Amino acid sequence: MRGVFLILALYFCVPAVWAGPTLDRVRRTGVVTDVLITQYPPFGFIDADNQVAGVDVDAARAFAARLGARLNIETPSWESIVSGHWQGRWDVCICSMTPTAERAQVLSFPAQYYSSPAVLVVHRDDTRIQSVADISGKRVGVGSGSSYEKYIDRSLRIPGAAPLAFPFHDVIGVPGDETINFRNLALGPGVRLDAIISSLATAKTASDSMHTLKILEPVLYREPSRVATEKGDPDWDQTVASTIAALKADGTLAKISQKWLGTDVTADAR
Amino acid sequence: MPVERRRHFREKVWLTWLALALLLAWGCRGLHLDFGYIREKLPFLLGLRLAPDGFIQGAALTIFVTSAAMVCALAVALLTAAGRLSNNPFAFAVATFYASLFRGTPLLVQVLIIYLALPQIGIVLGALSSGLIALSLNYGAYLAETIRSGVMAVPAGQREAALALGLPRWVITWKIVAPQALRLIIPPAGALFVSMLKDSSLVSIMGLWELNFLAQSYARSTFRYMEMLLAAALVYWALSIVFELVQLRLERRFGRGIPVVIGR
Repeated sequence: MRGVFLILALYFCVPAVWAGPTLDRVRRTGVVTDVLITQYPPFGFIDADNQVAGVDVDAARAFAARLGARLNIETPSWESIVSGHWQGRWDVCICSMTPTAERAQVLSFPAQYYSSPAVLVVHRDDTRIQSVADISGKRVGVGSGSSYEKYIDRSLRIPGAAPLAFPFHDVIGVPGDETINFRNLALGPGVRLDAIISSLATAKTASDSMHTLKILEPVLYREPSRVATEKGDPDWDQTVASTIAALKADGTLAKISQKWLGTDVTADAR
Repeated sequence: MPVERRRHFREKVWLTWLALALLLAWGCRGLHLDFGYIREKLPFLLGLRLAPDGFIQGAALTIFVTSAAMVCALAVALLTAAGRLSNNPFAFAVATFYASLFRGTPLLVQVLIIYLALPQIGIVLGALSSGLIALSLNYGAYLAETIRSGVMAVPAGQREAALALGLPRWVITWKIVAPQALRLIIPPAGALFVSMLKDSSLVSIMGLWELNFLAQSYARSTFRYMEMLLAAALVYWALSIVFELVQLRLERRFGRGIPVVIGR
């Protein structure tokens, strides 16, 4: 049995990549491997022609073009990406990731490329919840592993930003799949969920297709979306930062944002 | 059973299937499905076109992963069953330890460990390799028990009689024990493979564009969740039916000479 396992392991190791400094690898191969999520429209999704598309995809293309490298996109699950330890599998994640203290332990966040407003969404017929102060004791849906989960937990700290206010207490968080959460909220106020916290773009896509949701003003906070890399290659982080800065300076990022969101969310990119 | 009664039985079976299928379709009516969207996405879900990276996708990839894992699982299972039936304490211990470990832990956990934990000790496997290894090792452990029970169910007298005739060991194994054991192994093994077909959806967490991955991605790109979930479910079901038909043929082949039970 052991022998078989070893032979299998050796056989399947052939196409594997062994860990090494990222910048060297990108220079040597001329390929930059980016990971993103295909279930997060309009940032990353699969379009009508069965191609990956969205803000993150266009940003990754511009990033690779500026580096003079060929772009290779992979689409593992979010949990695989945020758990770090990529071991050279992937070079960069332009995947709408918000830095948190926990994530910063396993990943580096060398550059910010846009910031995303977090909003509170309720059912159209809801009369109980007027603002985020009313969600105390209510059932609030959040994407599992998302920064919104940390927000309702009152533990969200965005590195490098002012501490957030949490004007609520004892919220019952319902972490889960965002699409399923929105469907549950659409069933009626309080049927399965009382509210959802998500990014404005996701909330807009959901409410445009379901018509029974209401996005409350004002925006709760703006969370930075930063490019993530594996920890341990400062030269690569430097390259990522200067490349994103160049894309911001020449207006490429703003153009991408206008194209997909109809507004420029890249003003505080840096 | 008289031919006439048998025909009536079959007719009634088909009519009941039809009625149940219609009932199911009628139940789905209330979901207000967008059939245009399903039609638009079906060629991709079925894998009639290649993924953007030029690899197979959708149901084609699901079938590929399942078939490849089936072959590997069978090899692993034969070895494990041999170890399980062996008199060598080392072989027995390795086989039982492996079977216990992989039957006693969830497949999802195994997939994640192979994909995410192995890199930390220096073994970085690709998504496809990780998925194949996890499925093969998990199902190999179950299949080994199925094979072992099949072999043990062959009466000891068969082997003894063959030995008395002076037949060589490999002839006893291949011509006496294997055909009789296979008759008992095929139905539960077929059920395992049908179950593996659906468990192959777990490899989607590594970003392989198989049936479940595409259905989820399309669903979230447009919020047409029910359409894509039901379409994927129907494709899985259709594939399972094909698997079951293959299993039925094999059962008939290895069941020759055994009285046929009603309904078969």
